[in-house]
Order: sequence, then structure tokens, then C-alpha cells
Amino acid sequence: MKISYAWLKEYVNLNLNPEELADCLNQIGLMVETLTRFEDDTVFEIETYANRPDTLGHLGVAREIATLLGLSLKTRNWPLRELPQTTAEMVDINILDPQLCPRYCGLVVKGVKVGPSPDWLKKRLEAVGLRPINNVVDISNYVCFSLGQPIHTFDLSKIKGARIIIRKARKGEAIRTLEGETAELDPEMLVIADETTPVAIAGVIGGEESGITETTTDVFIESANFNPVSIRLTAKKLGLSTDASYRFERGVDPNAAPAAAVMAASLLCEFGGRVSRGLLDVHPAPRKPRTVNLRLRRVNELLGLEIEPDFVVKTLSGLGLKLKEQGPLVWTAEIPGFRVDLEREADLVEEVARFFGYDRIPSAVTPVKSFDLPADRKRDRVWRLKEVLFHHGFDEVINFSFADPEKEQLWQTGCRPIKLQNPISSKLSILRTSLLPGLVENAVWNFNREAEGVHIFEVGNIYYWEEEEVHRENLNLGILTTGLRSGRTWREAEKETDFFVLKGAVEDICGYLGYEQLSFEPVEHPFFEPGQALKILVKNELVGLLGLLNASLARGYDLERPAYCAEISLQELLSRQPRPFSFQPVPRYPGTSRDLSFLVDDSLTYQQIQQQLQKLNIACLENFLIYDRFQGKSLAPGKVSFSVRFYFRHSARTLQTEEVDRAMREIISQLKSTLKIQLR
Amino acid sequence: MSNLLEKIEHYRRLFADQVSRVKEARGVEELRQLFLGRKKGHLTLLFEEFKTLGPEEKKSAGRMLNELKSEIQNRLAELEQKLQAPARVEQLEDLTLPGRQLYWGAPHPITLFQREIERIFVSMGFSVEEGPEIETDYYNFEALNFPPHHPARDSWDTLYINDRLLLRTHTSPVQIRVMEKKKPPIRIIIPGKVFRRETPDPTHLPMFYQVEGLVVDRGITFAHLKGTLEYFLKALFGEKIKLRFRPSFFPFTEPSAEVDIECIVCGGQDRNCRVCGGSGWKEILGAGMVDPQVFKNVSIDPEVYSGWAFGLGIDRTAMFAFQIPEIRQFYENDLRFLRQFNRR
Repeated sequence: MKISYAWLKEYVNLNLNPEELADCLNQIGLMVETLTRFEDDTVFEIETYANRPDTLGHLGVAREIATLLGLSLKTRNWPLRELPQTTAEMVDINILDPQLCPRYCGLVVKGVKVGPSPDWLKKRLEAVGLRPINNVVDISNYVCFSLGQPIHTFDLSKIKGARIIIRKARKGEAIRTLEGETAELDPEMLVIADETTPVAIAGVIGGEESGITETTTDVFIESANFNPVSIRLTAKKLGLSTDASYRFERGVDPNAAPAAAVMAASLLCEFGGRVSRGLLDVHPAPRKPRTVNLRLRRVNELLGLEIEPDFVVKTLSGLGLKLKEQGPLVWTAEIPGFRVDLEREADLVEEVARFFGYDRIPSAVTPVKSFDLPADRKRDRVWRLKEVLFHHGFDEVINFSFADPEKEQLWQTGCRPIKLQNPISSKLSILRTSLLPGLVENAVWNFNREAEGVHIFEVGNIYYWEEEEVHRENLNLGILTTGLRSGRTWREAEKETDFFVLKGAVEDICGYLGYEQLSFEPVEHPFFEPGQALKILVKNELVGLLGLLNASLARGYDLERPAYCAEISLQELLSRQPRPFSFQPVPRYPGTSRDLSFLVDDSLTYQQIQQQLQKLNIACLENFLIYDRFQGKSLAPGKVSFSVRFYFRHSARTLQTEEVDRAMREIISQLKSTLKIQLR
Repeated sequence: MSNLLEKIEHYRRLFADQVSRVKEARGVEELRQLFLGRKKGHLTLLFEEFKTLGPEEKKSAGRMLNELKSEIQNRLAELEQKLQAPARVEQLEDLTLPGRQLYWGAPHPITLFQREIERIFVSMGFSVEEGPEIETDYYNFEALNFPPHHPARDSWDTLYINDRLLLRTHTSPVQIRVMEKKKPPIRIIIPGKVFRRETPDPTHLPMFYQVEGLVVDRGITFAHLKGTLEYFLKALFGEKIKLRFRPSFFPFTEPSAEVDIECIVCGGQDRNCRVCGGSGWKEILGAGMVDPQVFKNVSIDPEVYSGWAFGLGIDRTAMFAFQIPEIRQFYENDLRFLRQFNRR
């Protein structure tokens, strides 16, 4: 909202310089965004709030400043040159829907000479960014931006039967607006109609047909009050926002209507106009002013200070509230109609605080009376897994939760996507059902910008319909590794990433988070190349997938390098109880190790061998490690060689060589029968 | 007799075989025990056997036995020395060559900044809460005192899923969810993703991060709000930062405030500062005393309890703190952008 300094001075005597005035406006929450000179005037662009329609006119802003500075508002007189006839003799006003139109005031001004506005008026309007059109239209804008009460002017001769009917539109009715567009009306919209057709969309915009032209002589002034919700719905449906609708949808003071009509009529008298006698004021059910109780104690309790009762009275009275003392330091405040925002005691406390000055309220430490223990460790675990990934050299990314349905479809995630009703664009019209498409796009983005390797992860939600009407948001972890793992140094050649880089990270996440019983199973999945993917299982429950990205998916994103990716449901993983930490005494006796190399059928997987080794029931076997796997020409076809190092220890004494020999013989015999190993 | 000589020969070969496999110093000791151990060492046993021989036999066997013993002793000593000697490091001529550096992955700047904020509040006894990103109109608006069809909703332009569900436009619905479950005292912060129907430009995106704070207890005042936010912003931006509290409007707080901090880029000295627009101040967060209607909506008696709340855009604050020109850069995930935050 633009406020002209000169215009403000019509309502209050101010002799501050513009910068001082800006500071005053800021203090009371009328935040000055810009301050610009306009000829000999200064214009303040101020931030206004949805609950303060009273600040959408210069009078309202002047009232605030006057209150802050302890000044009084000027009263202005609006003399009329009257006609012998009464308004009621010239027009008929009929409100058919008093819910949507609580008040309608009308005056007729005859003999107006339509023409350009005088310079003073043009200057006022131009200062606040309005384009002068002609004196009649300019006067209605001047009134609106003075009082915050929108008014509308009709060419009386175009109103058939001189009848003003405020009613809902009829099915199929349309109106050509002042903007020259045809608006299709629907029966929820309130219109101003004459005997036959709508002549204006109530509170939004006038009709072209009934508008003021150069040939107009007799003007009908409408100064009315409309239901905010109705105006908002109509304006939204028509895609129109006008100075009038902007004010009405925020709530205009019904008591402002008569004065605005008189002010407009008085100004029209300057252009040869003579005004009908007696304002025609249709106000079927005037509302009693709202009252709110205010306790000084409550002001001090909420603000944390001791405020003088006189300050409260002076401030609220300045703002137009009528205070009656109701008891010791308790008042009943009658709220003026223009303050739609003041409904409860807390609202009045804010008024006191605003004018007292937020900067003068002391600062204090918020007292603590109890501490809450964290409800669960989930957030800590998520950070822990991020640390594991940082350690593995993965960078964290955050992608939009939105996805392009066409691209997402290629992934066949198996989740029914959630569509947005009003997306920003078709490419952002669904919510993602997987984190991997975003990671692949990040990889491509970076390869196109000189990256040689991309190793990234994201923790974030995916979203889908679990069933009709039941939506899910699921916290996932996506990991992707592609390209060079490390650059060339003087000691080492560059290294390409591979599947086991990814798998190691996944294993470490589970390990460091205490999720034991991690296992993998081969799986075919549309994300991955055939035979190149594994299910990730914790305690035999599926928690995620990892593998080599499907080549045709990669091509769809112009990703040329092989990419290994994993997606893990953290919802699934973190809902499981990790192994509780327990301290193990540090061994006191030395251990020893023995190596064993053997051949097995190459149909056996490492995991099968590992599971057999885990089943070995040897008391002093502490651990084992596979340190070599070899397959090649020197071996019989269909065979693969594994080398395993076994670690032995006794907790209470030093092991004897013979015991270790015996253990090894036992291991060999067990493996011979379970895995059919051949010693090398 | 021939029996003993054969045994000597056997142990000579056994030793040769075993000694060739020793790779560590402790293997030397094991072999020494095995062959020369005072009670059961192979050679010790042979010497026992040697004592039972006649004088003629002792002559040749004794020589062989002593030879083997000294051979074993020498060989073991030699090996021990070799294995225990510090591994000779290859002498490098140029120590100024770069060392082996490890790459440590970079946290996303939003994560980093969010954690900084969390740390400050956790140090003041706050706990961290989270809530769903897909919300109902009730939690996102109605319970927070936004009347239906009120223009106040315009500043929270919403992405809808259907008539019932929407993407939360702020983290404030979590206030409601927590107050529904938990009775005061409440002292929480709520970080998270929020969504607005905004066309992307340098300062707006349809998705960004917020952090929300809420305190509810008996006797909580606006002065407490001020004191806490002053401490928080000083902890985040430095002791010397200047703050300004000014009145504002949010449907869910009354009185409401906005907090500006002094422009750290121009310090109010540049009329054309692209960060503060020349005003010298940068709007950083919205706050206020919890609106009594919000308390009523969660069955907390506003006559007994009061509270304060604040909300802050993490992205925008991080942009300001690090002087990042465009909000979009957070979500492009360019490694040249992300990896800088590793050094922070």
C-alpha cells in the first residue's frame, strides 16, 4: 500500500521529516518497504496485513500516527449543494440478500460535468500509483484511498427503471466489465442489477455499460458493504483482484459507508453537481459494536513488564476504542467498526505493545522447569548414518519432493503416486515415489559440469497412496556412486567406483547402527540390470535394494557411466531395535591365526560359505575373514578358490598349538562335509 | 643309535621347513620353544636320549646334535634380528610431495545450518519434534486460527492434493500436533520441509526448510520471547549483531512480531545493497505470543498458560549468513556448491 505524506497531512498535522515518519511507521508495524520522492511529496510503500483493512486508506494510517505522537485527527467537512428532490424519489434500492450485503448507501448527483481532474487530485492519485481517468472516477478512487471504503459510480441514465437491486446472479447471466472482459456469472456471485440485468459485480468491478463516460451528467454513487467471504470467492473464481475486492475481502467498516458517499458527492459538487436530498441508507440489521474486556494485569502478564494504566487508556482511545472502567484496572472497550481485527483481550494487548514499542519491552530468559528426555533416538541414528556416509566420501544432496510423472513412470517403482491438484508445472506435478531419479539427475548435472565421479546420498521422504484415501510418507535413504572414486595422485592411479564401494557403505551403515543379521539376496528389479542387484535384509526382513542401475534407465537420463545405487527404507530399518551396546572385556591372552585355502564349486556364493562358517561350532574360534577369492586358468573349470584366515583365542589361557591344530582339523572336516571343499 | 641319527636328520628337515615359514618375531619364539624348550623341546628330548647311549655312539651323535643345536640357535637369532629390526623405510628424496588426503563427504548446507540451529536450542533445554509433510487443512490452517476463505491464507499459497489434504505450508501444524498430545510445559523446536505454490525465482521456491519454536508454560511472556530469540540470533550470527523487533501479523500469534537483523553485508551503509535493499535491516523471522484461539483449539486454557512461538526460513537465513545469491542453488546439488560446506 502506497501512502503519500501530503495526503496524510490532510488528516493530521505532522512536521516530521520523512525518515522520522518512516521510523514511526516501522515501530507500530506499518513496515516501510520503500520511501520515494514524488515531486514535493514523499511516498511510503508500507506492508499491510490481511487483518488490517483500516490501514488501506490514508485516514487509517493517520490515526495510527496520531495515536503514536499524541496528536488529534483533523475533522473535514463535506458540504453539499442539494437538489430539491430526495434520493428516494430518484432511485430505489432493494437488498435481496442482506447476508451478503449488510448495508447499501446511495446518492444521486445531477449535472456533473465529466472531464479531467484538477491538478491537486491528479497529483494525489499519481503519488500512490493510480492513473487519473476523469474527475468522477478519480473522486471515487480518492475517497477509497482516503477512507478505505470502496465506492462505485454509475451513469444513472443507464440504470433501467432507476432501480438498484442487490441480488445473486442468475444462471447464465454475464456482464461486460469496465476492463472490457466478459465475465460469466454464477448463482453464488452477488451482483448489482437494474430492472433487467446486472450492472456491476458487487464489490469487485463495475459493468462497462453503466460506467461513467464523457456524456454522463447524472451520477449514482454507491457506497456499500459486502460480505468478505462472498467477495473473495467471487473475485477468486473470476480471477480478478481490484482495489475494491482487496478491501472488501478483508472486511470494510459498515459505518464508513454513509460518510464515503457524502464525501464523494461533495467533491462532485465541485464539477457542477447537485446532490439528491437525504442519503438513501439501506441497513437492514445494524450490528451492535463489539466489546472486549481488558485487564491491566493481563497486559503485564503477557508482555512481561509494568505498564502505566494511563498509557493503556490514551493509546486505545487514540485508536478509536471507547473505554469504560469496569473495575480496578479493568476496562470494557467498545471496538470501532473499522477495527475488524480486535476481538479478544490479546488483540488489545498487542495494540498496547505496538504503541509502547517492542524495542522497549525488556528481554528475559525463558524459565526452564523441567527437561524432556528425547522421545526416541531416530534423529540421532539418521545423523549417525550420514556420518558413516561422509566417512565413505559420499556428499549429501537434497532434491525436490516433486517429480515429473513421465520420468517417474520409467522407474516402475510400484508405488501409486500422489498427484497435486494445483501443481506449479506438469514437471512438478506428482510427489516422488523414489529417491533414485533425483540422484541420477544430480549425477548427470555434475558430469555435465566437469565432475569425474559422483558419490551422493539423500535422506528424505517418498510419498504414495497405500490404498484409496490412505497416503503414506516414508523416510528413505538413497545412495548413488558413479565414475571415478578418487583422482590420480603421484602415488596412485585414479580408481573407478564399483558395486562393492556401495555395498561396503550399506554394510557399514547397518554395522555402525547396530543392525546385525544383515544379509543379501539376489533380486530382479526394474531399477537394476538383470542379475546385478540384491535385496538388503535385516533379520530376514526386506529393508532395501542395491545394484547396478538399469542401462535403459540410465540412457533415459543420458547417464553414460555405470552407476551403482541403493534405496533403503529408513522407516523399516530404524523401526527395528538395534543390538544394544554391551562392553566386552579386552582379551588378556594372545590369540593366533591360521590360513586355509580351498576349492569349491563356483555355484557356491560367498554368502553361503559365510553362513556355513558362522555355523562352525568351535569353542576357541574367535573370528574368520575371507581374504582371497580366485578363479582362473590354473584351477579346474567350475571351481573357485577361497582363502580364509581363522582367528583363535581362549579367554582364560594361552592356546596350545595342538588345540589350534585340532580346531583346524575340525573346521576342515566340517567344511568338507557341508561345502565339499577341496584343500589346495 | 641309527635311530637317533635319523631323528636328528628328521628334526633338521622339520626345522628347515618351519623356519622358512616364519614371518613374524613371535613365530621365532614359538619355534625356539618347539625345538629348544627346556622340558619338551625336540632337541632337549634328543639330548635326553643321547645320555642313554654308549661312549662310542656318543661321539658321532654328540657332534651332530651340537651342530644342529647351534645351527638352530644361530638361524633363530639371525631371523629374530631380521624380524625385530625396524622395517627399513624407503628413503624419500622429496618430502614436500603432497601427503595422502582422505575425502570426507560434505553435509548439505541446509542440514548443516539446521544442526547449528538445533544445537543452540537444545543447549537451552529444547527438544526436537517432527511431523508429517502431507497435512490436512485443519492442522495447517484451521487449528492455527486461519478462518476459511480469509485473505490471510494468501501469504501461505498452498499446494493441494485433494479437498482434504495439502502439503504443509509451514512447520506450525506440528505445534498443534504436539500440544494435542502433550500438556505444558512444552519447549520444542520443529525443523522440516515446507511447501508453497511459488514459481521458482532467485528468492522463492516451491519447497524450502523452516524451523519453528514453541514454549508453553505458566507465566511465559513476550519478554521471554525477546530474550530467547536475542540469544539465539547472537549465537548464530555473533555477539555484535543488532536486532529489531517490530509488530506484524500472523493468525496464530497475538501479539505478533517480526525480527530484523542488521544487514551483515553492508551494515546499513549501502543504499543499493542487494541483500537488504538499502534499509540496513534483513527480515529474519516471525514470532509472537501463542494466540488464545490456538490454545483453545488444543484444549489448553489460555487463562492459565501462555506461550511464545517463532518460525524461521532455514534456506533464507543460510543464504543471508553465507551470502548465497540464489535459493535454487540449494537444490541443484552442484558438487562445487555442496563441497564448500565441508570446510565450515
